[in-house]
Amino acid sequence: MLIVDSHLDLAFNAIQINRDITQPAAIVRTHDHQSSLYRWGSATVTFPELRKGRVGIVFGTVMSRIDHTDRFGRTGMYSQAQCYGVGHGHYSFYKAMEREGVLKFIHNAEDLDAMVAAWQNPSADTPFGLVLAMESADPILDPDHVSEWYDRGLRIVSISHYGNNTYAQGTDTEGGLLPRGKPLLDALKASGIIVDLTHTTDQGFWGILDYYDGPVAASHHNCRALVPGQRQLTDEMIKAIVERNGVIGAAFDVWMLDPDWKRGVLGCDQTTKATLETVVDHIDHIVQLVGSANHCGIGTDLDGGYGQEQSPRDLNTIADLQKLPSLFKKRGYKDEDISKILSNNWINFLKKTWSR
Amino acid sequence: MGTLIIDGHLDMGFNALYNRRDLTETIQSLREREDSLKNLLGPYETDPGTVTVSLPELRRGHIGIMLATIMCRVQVPWPGKPNCHNAVRTQATAYARGQSHLAYYQALEREGEVAWIKTLEDLESSVAAWENPTPETPVGLILSMESADPILGPDQVAQWWEDGLRAVGITHFGANSYGHGTGAPGGLYPTAYPLLDAFADTNMIIDLTHAADTAFWQILDYWEGPVHASHCNCRALVPGQRHLSDEMIKALCERGGVMGMVFVESMLSPQWVWDDPRTHCPNATRAMKAVVEHVDHVCQLTGNTDHVAIGTDLDGGFGRELAPTDMDTVNDLQKFLNILRERGYSEEDVAKIAHGNLLRLFRNAWSK
Repeated sequence: MLIVDSHLDLAFNAIQINRDITQPAAIVRTHDHQSSLYRWGSATVTFPELRKGRVGIVFGTVMSRIDHTDRFGRTGMYSQAQCYGVGHGHYSFYKAMEREGVLKFIHNAEDLDAMVAAWQNPSADTPFGLVLAMESADPILDPDHVSEWYDRGLRIVSISHYGNNTYAQGTDTEGGLLPRGKPLLDALKASGIIVDLTHTTDQGFWGILDYYDGPVAASHHNCRALVPGQRQLTDEMIKAIVERNGVIGAAFDVWMLDPDWKRGVLGCDQTTKATLETVVDHIDHIVQLVGSANHCGIGTDLDGGYGQEQSPRDLNTIADLQKLPSLFKKRGYKDEDISKILSNNWINFLKKTWSR
Repeated sequence: MGTLIIDGHLDMGFNALYNRRDLTETIQSLREREDSLKNLLGPYETDPGTVTVSLPELRRGHIGIMLATIMCRVQVPWPGKPNCHNAVRTQATAYARGQSHLAYYQALEREGEVAWIKTLEDLESSVAAWENPTPETPVGLILSMESADPILGPDQVAQWWEDGLRAVGITHFGANSYGHGTGAPGGLYPTAYPLLDAFADTNMIIDLTHAADTAFWQILDYWEGPVHASHCNCRALVPGQRHLSDEMIKALCERGGVMGMVFVESMLSPQWVWDDPRTHCPNATRAMKAVVEHVDHVCQLTGNTDHVAIGTDLDGGFGRELAPTDMDTVNDLQKFLNILRERGYSEEDVAKIAHGNLLRLFRNAWSK
């Protein structure tokens, strides 16, 4: 069954962690120096693993932000010029992968249809479909710069990430949209770019929803009703996204699944109780809350600066996403709803957005 | 007022993106911040050294034009430096990191911090601007590349040229995509020749710095276009493959090349052996007058002052600790010119070394 993953930081892994993600995860794990293994965890996401898991379409991020505290990831910067440099590097990695035939950029509904069709019967070298995403808008130098990014393929942008970013306050801070945020939202609206509500503060979330009347989604986000904390969506937030016909991708970082997970302690130094069932719990919470399976998706974030140690404990690599259908089945989900959650909700959302 | 200086080798993009330095800030503010981070270094992190280069500091030192690099190579990560920014596993990643450096410079251009030099006209207007600079005069930027790995194939050369790339070193450290660089025993790989052919369709200058010995001669043999050595010292004074032998210097200069003097302990001290970390001292022992010895050597060897330039490499992975002992920041290059004057170099010779010889290289290369 085709899976769409609405949040992967593939380029960050290739560039900042220096991984050859065209190799199987088992090989990357032998490449990684022990300091890398310790800080970033054992790799779970590489192209061969995505292929095994039939994760044929991914949202791949450009990720850099103003954030003075990011000493190891080297994506948190001091100036927007630096953010643009890092962000353009991420974009360029995807272009290099396209040149090698590993993936193809999805720019419009036609590209998307072709990719969905190709993944009905994939061959050993069917290219992955890539929707270019941005996690924190700092690499967009100003509103005039939006169209340039759109032309490169950028289709979904979160305004903030962690910390005190340029256009809005991000996760772990207070406050919301900043003065430069609204002109940026105007430009995003004009380009038809989806605003990703993940990594907003509470105030930022409602401020954006209030001001921005274009398409919205939450690429990798779980439920605050199950795991407390600003990083998760309250039931009211979930309902608000659903009212706007958005999709919410379930995140697989156990920090967002396991209320007992200790933040600030590396994955190698603790063990989680969360499993793939726990992810299903979050998706099921949304389905029960809104009364349909039309708004849930998968946005794993499995390569977001952590590894297997901080993933559901029955997931070795991202290929294990193929265990999800049977878990949903056990809970009585119909096949149609399962394929909606695994791929069709995102596909339909993108098609609707792009045919406007 | 100072003499215009052209620095033939600075790794600005690397410093901005790997060392997270906002190069529009003053040296003082960068140092204050980094001092406060020094005690947080992890077990496998290397101290980037005390910063000596930022844009305000270049302006203060009248270093009005620089060759700024795209720097990333394919090489097995060095032991002890597992996350070394500029050694990566695949050419795709080298391309991406190279593009990130390019984009950073483009953002600086957008802010008016640098003036991009792509043509003879751009060059002359930067030179003119630096005759009467203001504190805001942008630093002229000529884009160079240290190791050609970010060029994915000959078909990409035209795009890189259009983006402003004007000088390319084929290799860096180790065995890279197109051949062997410093520390490696061999020469060019077959893929290097079609790449050189593609460069021949442009006015690209080939930088012989960091070519392994065999590669050095293979390039000179095959490549008919302009050459220079952006940051190289003399093997006659400091042993080791990283430096140019007298034969190499003569061959380079016969081709109209220019050799940029490097301001780092590892290239000024005969006691420093690249392959033997036990010889690597934490603090410099040589002053700027050690650089003058290399200048003298090249001038005596060639019988003139037409081939010496400055290519400090001052932000190339080390800091003030390993810069000449009488150097605090890149601004002190003006002191270096005074040392040359004291040693008897005429004002005309000093001007050639400070900027004239590199200007001639670019004027010749670009007027074809």
